[in-house]
Amino acid sequence: MTESRGIRRGDLIRVLLRSFLIQASWSFDRMQSLGFAFAIRPALRRLYPKADEYNSRLRLHMEYFNTQPYLASFILGAAVRMEEDRAAGSGGTVDVPGLKNNLMAPLGALGDSFFWGALKPLAALIAVSLLMAGAGWAPVLFLAVYNAWHLRLRTSVLFWGYESGGDVVRLLSHYSFTRMASLFKALSLAVLGGMLGMIPMWRPEFKPLPGAAGVVAGVAATLVLVVAARKGFSPVKLMFGLAAISVALTYAGVA
Amino acid sequence: MPLFDLHTGLLILAISAAGGLVGLDRTAAGQFMISQPIVAGPLTGWLLGNAEAGLIIGAVLELVWVLDMPIGTFVPADATIGAVSATAIAVLGGSTEQVPLDRIGFSLLLTTGMVPITMMVDEGMRKRNSVLAETALAAPDQHLDCRLTRSHLSGLGAFFLKSFVLCLLFIPAGLAAVAIFAHAPDRLHRAMALFVKWLPLLGGALILQKLSVSIVNRFLLAGFAVALMMTLLLRGQPVVIVLLVLATGFLGARYGAWR
Repeated sequence: MTESRGIRRGDLIRVLLRSFLIQASWSFDRMQSLGFAFAIRPALRRLYPKADEYNSRLRLHMEYFNTQPYLASFILGAAVRMEEDRAAGSGGTVDVPGLKNNLMAPLGALGDSFFWGALKPLAALIAVSLLMAGAGWAPVLFLAVYNAWHLRLRTSVLFWGYESGGDVVRLLSHYSFTRMASLFKALSLAVLGGMLGMIPMWRPEFKPLPGAAGVVAGVAATLVLVVAARKGFSPVKLMFGLAAISVALTYAGVA
Repeated sequence: MPLFDLHTGLLILAISAAGGLVGLDRTAAGQFMISQPIVAGPLTGWLLGNAEAGLIIGAVLELVWVLDMPIGTFVPADATIGAVSATAIAVLGGSTEQVPLDRIGFSLLLTTGMVPITMMVDEGMRKRNSVLAETALAAPDQHLDCRLTRSHLSGLGAFFLKSFVLCLLFIPAGLAAVAIFAHAPDRLHRAMALFVKWLPLLGGALILQKLSVSIVNRFLLAGFAVALMMTLLLRGQPVVIVLLVLATGFLGARYGAWR
């Protein structure tokens, strides 16, 4: 019979700290596989004192894995719980790879849409709007707003994953990522509109023209650029295009 | 006459090392968003004694690249190297205390040209990282633990080296280009100053395009109207205006949900 010991809070904290490096060796074919095994290692060490069993479980966690790096904490917590059940002999049919495979795609999509597609743009737009109006402390605000959510969620979902054993329905009933993403996108759009409305307040380095004329010119230019972007021009091509237009306008004596 | 003195050379080395460290935050470690241009730019500027140039560069690059997301196997443009290099080129490219806007514009243009290179290098490095997993998996049981840790953490070193080496190449190349730009006609200098003014508008346009929303989106228009009114009529403080815009967006979203 397997000699096993229970997971302690300190083990979960070690797993959490290691999860901050989950993408250190990210590759196209195995993505976060080494990162997952690296993060769960302290828990496996605690649960499997015998070297052969420890090695076989560690190898199992080196299989392909990829999800949104912050929400990987939830899967890590759930995997630790399942490993604990298995080591205690209470879960003979525990399927840890199955759990990982089932959770990584939906949590990846949710996390990408919430963190990259909603929280980051909102925090960035708030900070840039303030910075363009002269607030030099805006980068600190950006870090504070973003990380207040990031760190709280990243930490709490690991413990949620552990306590619920990977019950994603409970997670989503507590954290409505889709609803929050939709709210944050609405707020981002309001702040983007607000940023354009604040053109008269912009620092001289950014202001297209002085006074209310700057608002008209800025909005008109933005609309033209939206049309150009929708035609499929990449940001790099658009930036080179704008540089060329700037040179042409200057040489034509318009600017 | 040499292009750089020893002091500048050491500064380039130090900033490249800082770029390497900050670059780790992009993918490999933490992802606390220190690597975002709005932080990396001012941080580089502050290290070089001119946070102002970094603030301008960081703000525009943030807007342009904020929705370039690392989803699946897509490797986005490395805006961190762009922000660090552009700021270093702008600050180190002249002797004046205040960095002129035309030099900032030219530095931004130079680093824009470097974006495809950063993406290619990043892709190449991630392909090479596959070897790390294979090495760890091939380890005999008695070395598995140690090989896993070593392989995984060596990825950190590779990500650091990528950003460090790219900064180390881009910054001196950019400084050489800025030295040539200094002798360019005055109109070209004015054009580069004008170029900077376009970029926040381009950033806004790219966000609208990426979010696939109509230009008559109600949140966008409400935010615009509230901010314009507060700016022109009531001369409000930026913080108050942004808070009011957020409150407007929040109430609009709640009303939409209620309906």
